[in-house]
Amino acid sequence: MGRRITIDPITRIEGHLKIEVEVEKGKVKNAWSSGTMARGFEALLLGKDPRDASYVTSRFCGVCFSVHQMASARALDVAFGAQVPWGGRLLRNLVMGAEYIYDHLVHFYHLSALDYIDIMAIANYKGKDSELNKVKDKVVGLVQRGDTFPLTPRYEPDEFSVNDPDVVISAVKHYLDALKMQIKAKNMGVIFGGRAPHYQSIVVGGFTQYPDINQIARFRSMLDELAGFVNEVYIPDVLAFGTGPLLPLAKGGVGGGHRNYLSYGSFELNEAGDELVFKPGVIFNLNGTKSIEIRPFEQKRVTESVHYSWYKQDKPRHPYQGAQVFDLERPDAYSFIKAPRYDNVPMEVGPLARALVDQDPTILGIMRNQGVKPGAVARHAARALETKKVVDAMYHWCDELTAAMTKPGFKIHDTDHWEPPAEGEGAGFFEPPRGALGHWIQIKDHKIANYQAVVPSTWNASPRDERGVRGQYEESLIGAPVPDPENPINVVRVIRSFDPCLACAIHLIDPKTNEILKFMVE
Amino acid sequence: MASAKRGKILVLGVGNLLLSDEGVGVHAAREMMEMDLPPEVLVVEGGTDGFGLMHVLVEADRVILIDAVKGGGQPGSIYRFEIEDCPPFPDVFKTSVHQISILEVINLSGLIGPTPRTTIIGIEPICLEMGMELSPQVARAIPKVIRLVKEEVAASLGHSPRKLATGGSPAGGSPSDPI
Repeated sequence: MGRRITIDPITRIEGHLKIEVEVEKGKVKNAWSSGTMARGFEALLLGKDPRDASYVTSRFCGVCFSVHQMASARALDVAFGAQVPWGGRLLRNLVMGAEYIYDHLVHFYHLSALDYIDIMAIANYKGKDSELNKVKDKVVGLVQRGDTFPLTPRYEPDEFSVNDPDVVISAVKHYLDALKMQIKAKNMGVIFGGRAPHYQSIVVGGFTQYPDINQIARFRSMLDELAGFVNEVYIPDVLAFGTGPLLPLAKGGVGGGHRNYLSYGSFELNEAGDELVFKPGVIFNLNGTKSIEIRPFEQKRVTESVHYSWYKQDKPRHPYQGAQVFDLERPDAYSFIKAPRYDNVPMEVGPLARALVDQDPTILGIMRNQGVKPGAVARHAARALETKKVVDAMYHWCDELTAAMTKPGFKIHDTDHWEPPAEGEGAGFFEPPRGALGHWIQIKDHKIANYQAVVPSTWNASPRDERGVRGQYEESLIGAPVPDPENPINVVRVIRSFDPCLACAIHLIDPKTNEILKFMVE
Repeated sequence: MASAKRGKILVLGVGNLLLSDEGVGVHAAREMMEMDLPPEVLVVEGGTDGFGLMHVLVEADRVILIDAVKGGGQPGSIYRFEIEDCPPFPDVFKTSVHQISILEVINLSGLIGPTPRTTIIGIEPICLEMGMELSPQVARAIPKVIRLVKEEVAASLGHSPRKLATGGSPAGGSPSDPI
């Protein structure tokens, strides 16, 4: 019996994901991933006007709210029979594109990169660059005040950690630059989204707000700046780390897991909708990158198992038949996350899945030439490289929108299908930054009769299914090196490479002490 | 960048609208959005976003944050404290499921510019179950919360609190009242 280590929570600062691993002879032998907080917001939607769904679902999560609005609107489009005009689809894509840039930059620089560098090496920087010395003074100042949040990682640097002072200081400089860049990306989304968080503009049938030419110009100039950062800083940083100090982790395929990948496909490049930035498809049991068999995605093959989850349910069910009834007495259950499966098989979703389903030549080239296997490092690389794909598409969408606006009859919304049908159902799919997101709605008597969302982190963080097959986080940890049980940094690296997000519930301020009582005013 | 924005006051209501009293900050901010406030004031309903709110935080010189706070008082109790009054990060905010909590984001924004002075107006919740309505105790506290926020705004602008505090708020009181 190996030693059991529990890491809770695992997201950089907060979150409700608990990972338990059993370590034997310096390697992970078994793993369990648990969502420790009850969700089930879907129940709030029952009996409501279906059009409310895109607003209410955008409150599911504080981190990835707008993507729920998008998936929800798409499910409603299908259920209402709405045909979203090209103008509406372009505007939706531009808002979602801004979300990609924001999310991927924050994930790499602010939520992950610190797992790979020895921040304290910064004190040894001897260079003359005045800007970098300012960064050094800032960080050293924080350390001296004992206020190293949020820069200090929770785990000790290991043999893979970068400790060259020049590299570390430039990484920290980029961390600070990326803070400014993510602000720009948010502001860019607001141009068309109307407000942030919780954009108002994505609704069933299309988009609510007509663009003007000045907005497009502003959007483009912000995009120029962000594209510069993505192409000249973010991608080179990730590739330099991945093919340099982290190459052994990359070649070892640490964090690989089940080699099954699912992408719903997203982001039309033309009005006909037959050219996409990300193609839909499924890969079973990837074996090398020479020839990859991509099967078509069929939504009827999606089911959710609750054998190890705290829900009442007899057998794996398609989301249309799903419900959220808790069963806290369920024997063997260890998670509030259900176990989504495709053809009864666990899938990885997210940037690496998209890149492999797309057979993206850049990532496949790196994998072949450098001997990189699917795993934590490949995931970071796929995420960085796809940001460029989205940025390039955003320029194209700006051009398309500018052209479409000048044509007579320019439309952004299908107003003929605004009223809810008496009966109907629809599945809405989208590929948000974190991976495959699906919403399923059923309408009866013009009201919501059932609603289910299967979110990306549910796919990746799922517990075992009724056959005892591990979820992708769990499987990806098997074999991860943990030479020092007190410092399971590789476990954290693997899980964070998926961009875990379970930020779907409570967030109130809850100081540990009763100190706050003395500030009571009423 | 910030120098052109001197004097901006951000009233930021945060919380999850789907968890009853957890959404009190959002409810209060929504009410304040309908009010006639000085031009320097921007009211934002921040939902549960953490990191994603930095774009409004860096534009502000002064932040008044409205949120549910578990301080141990009776439901509907109101607290007023400065961000510095909270015990050191990050242990304090264990129950947050933001990847990074709002108070952490405010501190983090200090890495790229001046940190705005931040006052928290907190409300003690009772019900955190799934639901979109406030409990009666917490709903009753909202007018007082709004009055307190307006007093903070007035003090920051150097105005008479009375002038602002009485506008549209049933709980408007004299600045010398013990609150």
